[in-house]
Amino acid sequence: MTPAANSRSSNSKTTLSPGQRFKAWVALHRECAVDALRRLQQQPAGSAMTLAVIAIALLLPALLYVTGKNLSQFDNSLAQANRVTVYLQTDVDASVIDELQQQMAAHDLVSSAHYISPEQAAADFAEWSGLGDVVDSLATNPLPASIVIQASDTRYETAQQLQETFDDAPGVDFVQMDQLWLQRLDSFLSLTQRAVIALIVVLSLAVLFITGNSIRTSIASREAEIRVMNLIGATNGFIARPFLYSGLWYGLLGGALAWILLALLMLVLRGPATELLAYYGNQYQLQGLGTSASAVLLGGSAVLGWLGARLSVSRHLTRF
Amino acid sequence: MIRFDDVSKRYPGGHEALKQVSFELEKGEMAFLTGRSGAGKSTLLKLIMLIEQLNQGQILVGGRNINRLPPRQVPYYRRRIGVVFQDHQLLFDRSVFDNVMLPLQIEGYDKHEAARRVRAALDKVGLLDKEKLNPITISGGEQQRVGIARAVVNRPQILLADEPTGNLDPELAAEIMVLFEQFNQVGVCMLIASHDLSLITRLKHRMLTLDQGRLIKDEHQPSRAAATNHTGQRT
Repeated sequence: MTPAANSRSSNSKTTLSPGQRFKAWVALHRECAVDALRRLQQQPAGSAMTLAVIAIALLLPALLYVTGKNLSQFDNSLAQANRVTVYLQTDVDASVIDELQQQMAAHDLVSSAHYISPEQAAADFAEWSGLGDVVDSLATNPLPASIVIQASDTRYETAQQLQETFDDAPGVDFVQMDQLWLQRLDSFLSLTQRAVIALIVVLSLAVLFITGNSIRTSIASREAEIRVMNLIGATNGFIARPFLYSGLWYGLLGGALAWILLALLMLVLRGPATELLAYYGNQYQLQGLGTSASAVLLGGSAVLGWLGARLSVSRHLTRF
Repeated sequence: MIRFDDVSKRYPGGHEALKQVSFELEKGEMAFLTGRSGAGKSTLLKLIMLIEQLNQGQILVGGRNINRLPPRQVPYYRRRIGVVFQDHQLLFDRSVFDNVMLPLQIEGYDKHEAARRVRAALDKVGLLDKEKLNPITISGGEQQRVGIARAVVNRPQILLADEPTGNLDPELAAEIMVLFEQFNQVGVCMLIASHDLSLITRLKHRMLTLDQGRLIKDEHQPSRAAATNHTGQRT
């Protein structure tokens, strides 16, 4: 080495081309990511505990989300059967029924009105209940005639208004809304949605703190290294980077573990759930998390892990 | 290259480590910093490294007032200065090679180029054949040479050393000093804190002597007499 060589070489490092710099930067990040992963493997017990806690914290909202998603299947399909049934008095003239039906069909809030005769009702009941023999054995048909109204929209208020309108009409015995339990399901579903959001917020904080704490421990265990790097001119960003990658891995792997646990749970529940759903007809199926929610779970958990590490790093790296 | 103007440093708690110290080191100059332990040698080096902040005066390095350096700039400033520590500060979780690689990694060198420089630095300190070993398995003298390789691998203009031979026997210590002189010959400005007077007076370089925080002597050609005089004061 001569002085000239010395100055030349110190120039050459400042004139690295942007391409070279970018390549070195990418290589550095990749190395950092791989190194962070290797460090997680080096302490399998500690890492596994952290990952398990993160996974459980993420599993809870995911599970509630899936429950809500399955229940809303009912909501959607039953909203179609948005009916008001108007039961008619016995011995009402056919002309009165006709007039009533026309009046209903002309109403703004009604999309269709369909007359069901007592005979039709009996046949439907026989078929639906499987009690055909019993119906046949009856001397007279106990079922009244009815008009089934399909409301124009699914709102509870609409059905209520229809009930009020036709309750006192001539020839009407009483009006029944099929909507009440639907209403309850609806409010239950919006409750679950809120619960999911609240749980996500609370448990995200938990994930943040869990990762933050793990990162704090690993910062403490690498104190010597951090001190040396600091002395030889490493920027805070450079020193923080491996810890941020550790956080990212914690989050991502914890999220993946939560996903696997959920999938296993669904597998266990599939048999009994399918049996249960069969009672409600064939259109229902047990649904899993789905692609987009899975992506949100994994992406969100990775971001949370990174953020937790970021918090920890900004608190604990400044000491050096 | 390094200029101290009336620099004073008081630690929290009241201990006055440096009192109105002024001196200047030229580019490519080599100087020893001596004095008993507690005289302020380490503090002086720490001020140059910006590990500690001075209370009074100013320090110019390469013409820049380093105490006005914004914190963001400090890492980049430190990269221009190589430091050799008494306890070498090597990392035992990686090989000799990776230890020397560290400063280049920090600067974002391309891997191939970095490896070439690491080998050049290790060759310079005579440890090329030990690059794959863990530094914990090599001798104290070799560890210190790894520390030196790390300090010079990115070819700093300034090299600071804090008691670099403090843990070494005289023969190894002399070898380390020869190494330092070689770096000085290629234009590196060097400031070496050491209380090993019998060694450093033999080397005929400039010698700054601190006593209780004051710069009491600045000899450009230290004499034998001075050496014997100071040896008597050694603790």
